[in-house]
Amino acid sequence: MAIPGAIDALVLDHNSGMAVAAGGSGTDPEYSAAALSETLRVMTDGIAQTSSGGTVRIEDMIVVSDRGYHLFRPLETRFDGPLVIYVHLDLERSNLALARHLLHSISSRLDM
Amino acid sequence: MPALDSLLSGLALERATGALRVGRLGTVFLSDGRVTYIECSASTRLEDVLTADGRVTENALRRAHKDGAASLVEQGLLTRAELQYCALISTMDAAFFLLPARSARPRFVPGERHWLGPQWYFEVAGLVRECGRRRAELERAWSSTELDNVPVVPVRRLPGDRVVLTSLQWELLVQADREATPLDLARRLGRPAYTVLLAVRQLAAAGLLVRVAPVAERPSLPRRIKTELPAEPAQPYEPTDLDVLLRLRKALEELA
Repeated sequence: MAIPGAIDALVLDHNSGMAVAAGGSGTDPEYSAAALSETLRVMTDGIAQTSSGGTVRIEDMIVVSDRGYHLFRPLETRFDGPLVIYVHLDLERSNLALARHLLHSISSRLDM
Repeated sequence: MPALDSLLSGLALERATGALRVGRLGTVFLSDGRVTYIECSASTRLEDVLTADGRVTENALRRAHKDGAASLVEQGLLTRAELQYCALISTMDAAFFLLPARSARPRFVPGERHWLGPQWYFEVAGLVRECGRRRAELERAWSSTELDNVPVVPVRRLPGDRVVLTSLQWELLVQADREATPLDLARRLGRPAYTVLLAVRQLAAAGLLVRVAPVAERPSLPRRIKTELPAEPAQPYEPTDLDVLLRLRKALEELA
């Protein structure tokens, strides 16, 4: 995988909670996609409710757990969507700033 | 009649190429045993998804029907990834409505192909699992089918001061003309029917849509369940130790 320290990666369709593509250590992508989609939805709702006004657009969501970094990057598409790239990084072996940078360049190459 | 997914599993084993027509309801296209595309009259048509943002025109679509879907990419109207994504969401959407169908007798037409060509390959078991998950998700959002097939009518006043909407929910409320059903709105917006149905159920759960029969559907108080008391205790008491009783009586008499 191109991002150093990446353990799992998943592309999911946010509106339906469906796994589109998966790679990595072999967690069940269908289950993960639905759960991660829900995570992003709840977080977005929470941020929206605490914002004083206007709309909320999530650029990146980063969760740091004892098991590593969890990066979410929603991608706007012309059709339905958004698609979301999710990457799970090893806490010790990864560099968060580099990973975010790489994730941005990967998402711009996806051509959606 | 065998379920559609078992028929498809059979065709997968035979590595069949062609179209499985399910009456007028829809068609499953296979290539070398793998499902490549599904269309269904209940779900949003791929053409409506493709033309939704206006860049792909009806003319370009007609050309694609003749020359294949690659012509859309060659004309620069959409990228290959976008074409694949549209094939994926349209097929999953159609599968959701077509796979549970039991009404029509399916008929396999060997060699028939769809103009889209293979953009994505689906395993039958994976399709069935994903459809099951989607059904459970609908149920979880709001467990009634009451608003699935009737016009979407937003309430005139919010049941609170503020509300959080997703972009899709916003589009639905803007488009709702009190006549269009969720599936009509899906077609109009070029969005998959399932995601619209899910958004409508979420709006209903938030109390933002007018219910069809609010009185009849009002949840009743949990009913008291009548239970017969067992005639004898299920667990009989331990046999009394006479010796203990006698000693107890003796102790009480001594106290008096």
